[in-house]
Amino acid sequence: MNIWNPVRITWLHRANPVVKLGLIFALFFMTVLTHDLDFMMYQALVFMVCLVVLSGVKPWKMLLFFIPFLLAFISSSSSMMLFGKGETLWWEWGLFRVSEESFYRGLHLGFKGIAFASEGLLLVTTTSSVDLFYSLMQKLRLAPKYAYSFMASIRLLPMVWEEFVIRRQALKVRGVRPIRGVRNMVNRAGMYVVPLLAQSIRRAHRVAAAMEAKQFNGDQVKARTYYYPSRYSRYDLLVIGLLAAAACCAYVAAGYFPWFGIGDVRFD
Amino acid sequence: MSNATVSLFPAQSAEVQQEQAVQVEGLRLKYPGEERLMFKDLSFSAARGEKVLLLGPSGCGKSTLLQVLSGMIPRATEVPMKCEAQIVPRSWGYVFQDPDTQFCMPYVDEELAFVLENLSIPRDEMKERMQAALHEVGLNLEELHLPIGHLSQGMKQRLALASALLLEPEVLFLDEPSALLDPEGREQIWDAVKSVSEGRTLIIVEHRIEEMAKYVDRVVLFSPDGVILGDGPPAAVFAKYECELKSYGIWYPGVWEDYAQTRAGRELFAPVDAYGEDLGNLLHEAALPYPLDGEPVIRLEDFKGLRWDKPVISLPSAEVYRAEFIAVVGPNGAGKSSFLLSLMGLLRAQGTYVLCGEEVVQGKARKVRKKREQQLRQIGFVFQNPELQFLTERIGDEVVYSLLVDNMPAEEAKAQADRCLERFGLSGMENRHPYQLSTGQKRRLSVATAMARQPEVLLLDEPTFGQDARNTFAILEMCERLRRTGTAILMVTHEMEIAQRVATHIWEIREGQLTSSMASPRLCTGAESRQEDDGLNRAGESYDPSSASAAHLTGVNS
Repeated sequence: MNIWNPVRITWLHRANPVVKLGLIFALFFMTVLTHDLDFMMYQALVFMVCLVVLSGVKPWKMLLFFIPFLLAFISSSSSMMLFGKGETLWWEWGLFRVSEESFYRGLHLGFKGIAFASEGLLLVTTTSSVDLFYSLMQKLRLAPKYAYSFMASIRLLPMVWEEFVIRRQALKVRGVRPIRGVRNMVNRAGMYVVPLLAQSIRRAHRVAAAMEAKQFNGDQVKARTYYYPSRYSRYDLLVIGLLAAAACCAYVAAGYFPWFGIGDVRFD
Repeated sequence: MSNATVSLFPAQSAEVQQEQAVQVEGLRLKYPGEERLMFKDLSFSAARGEKVLLLGPSGCGKSTLLQVLSGMIPRATEVPMKCEAQIVPRSWGYVFQDPDTQFCMPYVDEELAFVLENLSIPRDEMKERMQAALHEVGLNLEELHLPIGHLSQGMKQRLALASALLLEPEVLFLDEPSALLDPEGREQIWDAVKSVSEGRTLIIVEHRIEEMAKYVDRVVLFSPDGVILGDGPPAAVFAKYECELKSYGIWYPGVWEDYAQTRAGRELFAPVDAYGEDLGNLLHEAALPYPLDGEPVIRLEDFKGLRWDKPVISLPSAEVYRAEFIAVVGPNGAGKSSFLLSLMGLLRAQGTYVLCGEEVVQGKARKVRKKREQQLRQIGFVFQNPELQFLTERIGDEVVYSLLVDNMPAEEAKAQADRCLERFGLSGMENRHPYQLSTGQKRRLSVATAMARQPEVLLLDEPTFGQDARNTFAILEMCERLRRTGTAILMVTHEMEIAQRVATHIWEIREGQLTSSMASPRLCTGAESRQEDDGLNRAGESYDPSSASAAHLTGVNS
């Protein structure tokens, strides 16, 4: 019942994870350096469309992913709008001060958040952690000790969650009263953290011992063989072309159909 | 080469003219922070092809020795040690106790591939080798790309054995591979071990030796302080050190029969008859203060426990009376634990649920929830993992906490808690942290916190799981004592001996349904053997099950 399981396999799934990782970093870089409001908006739009089309996840599930985006959009843009600096004042009430500049900057920030999230999810929804680390080991010479410890710890996460649920039930059974006050809250956090951490450390130690017993040598890079081969294919070129085209689209659209037409939103 | 080193003195075994597969001479080892040496000048060796079983009480260093022999200590785990001579096998495989923490990859094929990658096996050969290894341990999976989480615990252990086999081991180290398995899984793993052991040296640490005792060539018995007591063929060691085997809590064949012969065992297994007269209890002055034909403590009608709005357990109708000991049995994942959780109000429930003559209210509203929680305070619950239910940093405070929640005055709570700890053999360590206890003690403390409140009903989720015989009997004795004061007990267990010898009723749950509920042999024999038992009890010494003096019978105080 994995919510991330795709219903369709797209080009993006077939591309090499290392290529995807590089590509996503390039897109991040572009997004960070964008200060034009129109370009930003089109980026957010275009990559959202890419995500829906290329992730292969059912559209209604994708809508679920957009709920946190929307929250991030509203919170980051609204706080920028209400408290940001600006000269052309539109509305003022106590601490709140909305000016033209802060309004646009708020929107810009919100779009930036959405663009970031879409780009990140493009990678996350189409790449399994195992694939990613296998590629990193083979293509970028990542030491196996890091790759396998990450993969092992991902396997341990659900066990921690299970124990959290049991701990919650156990506290209820023992008659621990509901939380009141900040001090109690800190106290309660300790009640969860200590046993869960103790269990996790012990478990991690046991997994490590088991890995050692299987003759694992964390620094062995050269002679190691790999169950999943990592190859470059034509899908890599296709994906690079596709995402580059998407970015160009956003740029051209911003040039021809500017919605806001105010250019750089930075405060000079 | 199955002729074993037949020697009761370990020093001589080195002189025997045989090629040694593993050997360590004059081993000294000390864990940092511990006061005494774990091993002092210990020598151990095993010949090629020999099957050796290491026995001893918990904490005597058997597992540590296994790690030393394999070279894991000091290569992987840094523990200060020195020895005069050592032979580490060229190739070895290791199977650990916990099925959930032996794997680092999510899928069966990936996990096996991990081993093959470590050995730099070419990719084309991998599939073939994986299939061969899985076939060897009797895991015939249609699809190798299967999530490990979908396997049963017994299958996981066989997968662990398969991945050990991929190392083409000369020596196989098995560190209690069946301790955390149900009887079915236990049988499977030992069958698999036997089928792969041909031509290999086996060094096994195990507490449950019913399946293995006949198969090994040699048994080495350790004393609690890490000294080899006995070393020789199984029959000789078992005969000579019967007493030690008992006191170390080892599950040797016939342990239940032997226990039944002891005074505590006679009490625990004493037949009960359906009229509520406890035959074993005739001498106990505080005879049952209740009529059994009265109201049931729990009455369920059309009861369902829900997880994510889907019923995971349903009982058309069931009743639990006071002083009943119900063993809830059934395969893994059938809904046994869910049943207990829904009785405890930790899962949403539907239907009629009457507890002590009062209907437990169902619903989500805040007031209803509060009322339900209040009602369900009459039930005690013991989880499988004791550590997760400790709340305080002192053992002394653990029990007091349970009593304070019920609004008992602090001083009275303190006094009662002290009495309770004494009864459970935990007095004298009130100031220690609960985590510092041994596994058996932790379990006893968790049972103590639930029992101290004298609940009407006590629910236990596999409390004896993974415990040695001594701890198991100690827990059962405590339950029995509580049962005799009228508490109804529901215990989820895989141990059929418990169900048949200790429980009064057996409920079987399959696929989320209560498929059968019947009286146990203990209850059935009650009426028949009344006379016979009467005599037996009169002949026996007087026995007060609630007194602390009874605790030493299973060594609870040690």
